[in-house]
Amino acid sequence: MSRTPRIPNLGGARAFILHRPHPTVQAIIRQLSAIGLETVDCWPELPPEALAADFVFFDADLGFDEQFPWKPGEAPMPLVALIGSEAPGRIEWALSHKADAQLLKPVGNAGVYSALLIARQSFEARKHLAGEIALLRQRVAERQTIVRAVAALSKGADDDRAYAQLRSLAMSWQISVEEAARRIVAMTEEEGGDDQSHRA
Amino acid sequence: MKQRIEIGILYSRSGSYQLVSDACRMGAIRAIADINADRRYGIELVPVERDPQSNADRYATLCEDIFRNSSARHVVGCVTSWSRKETIPVLEKAGGMLWYACPYEGFEANEHVVYMHACPNQHLVPLMAHVVPRFGANGFLLGSNYIWGWEMNRVARDLIADAGGKVLGERYLRIGETDVSRLIGEIRATRPNFILNNLIGTSSYAFLAAYHDLADEDPAFSPETCPVISCNLTEGELPAIGETGKGHLSVGPYFAPRPAAFASSFEASAYASVQVMADVLSRDPDAGPAEFSRAFAERRFSTRLGPIAIDAHSQHATLPVIIGRIADGVFEVVSREDEVAPDPYLSRYDPAKTFGSPRLRVVS
Repeated sequence: MSRTPRIPNLGGARAFILHRPHPTVQAIIRQLSAIGLETVDCWPELPPEALAADFVFFDADLGFDEQFPWKPGEAPMPLVALIGSEAPGRIEWALSHKADAQLLKPVGNAGVYSALLIARQSFEARKHLAGEIALLRQRVAERQTIVRAVAALSKGADDDRAYAQLRSLAMSWQISVEEAARRIVAMTEEEGGDDQSHRA
Repeated sequence: MKQRIEIGILYSRSGSYQLVSDACRMGAIRAIADINADRRYGIELVPVERDPQSNADRYATLCEDIFRNSSARHVVGCVTSWSRKETIPVLEKAGGMLWYACPYEGFEANEHVVYMHACPNQHLVPLMAHVVPRFGANGFLLGSNYIWGWEMNRVARDLIADAGGKVLGERYLRIGETDVSRLIGEIRATRPNFILNNLIGTSSYAFLAAYHDLADEDPAFSPETCPVISCNLTEGELPAIGETGKGHLSVGPYFAPRPAAFASSFEASAYASVQVMADVLSRDPDAGPAEFSRAFAERRFSTRLGPIAIDAHSQHATLPVIIGRIADGVFEVVSREDEVAPDPYLSRYDPAKTFGSPRLRVVS
């Protein structure tokens, strides 16, 4: 049975707020402290420690790429965009950084908690998807290896049986079919090498 | 000559949760009278009262009415979380403050609200930590159909999972509904170790009466083996519950001794709210949210509940946590922990500390 994921405990998490000194920063810090997070405000640059932050809030109005110690869209933590002017160019820039949630300025008495939860969830989902895509790409790239492994196992006879054998080997070695195919290809190449050395 | 300061009172004088509302109102009115009679305070508090008649839609409009037609900027009021959330936009617009004297479900920290009664780390978490090792971790969750019940039961689901138990049922009744036969049938069928009761007012009284009848038929449902546990039940409601509540458990920051200064924690907390408010206003009659926030950061307040600290970030009070068992018209104190700091977002909650490791518990 799948249970809806529980609301995470945010106590002790660290949030960096990249925004020039402004009452908006105070409003965000107040809410973050009430929720139990540690906060660091900074401008115009994120300090090196920001790489270990759990959340980064950044100003979409005056922000620029060089403020971040990572390439646009590659932040290693959930980002929350602080949007004041809804100028399309600024929203486009915030999007290029793949903000996971946003807060509209001026920030009042609420909004930070839901932004944290939404940012965390969509960041995790994005990370999970990227991981899955990378895995699938890798498996697609291994098609040729599988063909070679099946050919090696069938020795020109029954391909279906050879494929079934490959699968059962993967199962007994407790690895993926692709990984098993790689091993078989490697073993075959070794054997081939050995054969040649015998001949020599 | 004392300076007159108007303050709003926003409690319902009728409706399904009237007993609680009356208790809060009594605390506020008594505190106002005592402060006005006390020469040490340079202020006279003048109540500006409105009665929302237990209609959630009337709180915001009546709060607005108080701000428009009087000089009051502070309001003591609201019982349900629904009414508090309805009132908040009005408070923000007017720069007003609400002194909220009831337990609530947590996960809120508005600059315009001072939370003077318990939040989950001061009620549900310690209550579950007490109940699970004594009765078991499998619970049946009940609630009136609005935010208090929904959110309390959401936290309870997580706590029960952490304790290694199962949620055997989760049911909601409309506020004021008294037909509880289906709930009783489901509880009888699922045989939980405890029942978390987030029903309010008349629904809660009807449930306790029917559950008492069930215990008469089947002793497995007696309070000694399967208690009903609540986070908002006080002495104020015992007359409506009568014999049927005996042996069940509740948690709160105050249970009335005999003789008692206050009849219930609602009354005590509303009284303390007015005391803290008057303490700051008597030094600075124009104090707004910023001045109050500074006072909370700098000082503790002496109240009839003892010295009280209010966390400046979350504006929640540090409170005692007392677990009480219903006896003849009073609560017997089962356990007590003083000065528990508020943690409205449960950001310091630690399952291992609360329940121990469930894997190490002996299963018999």
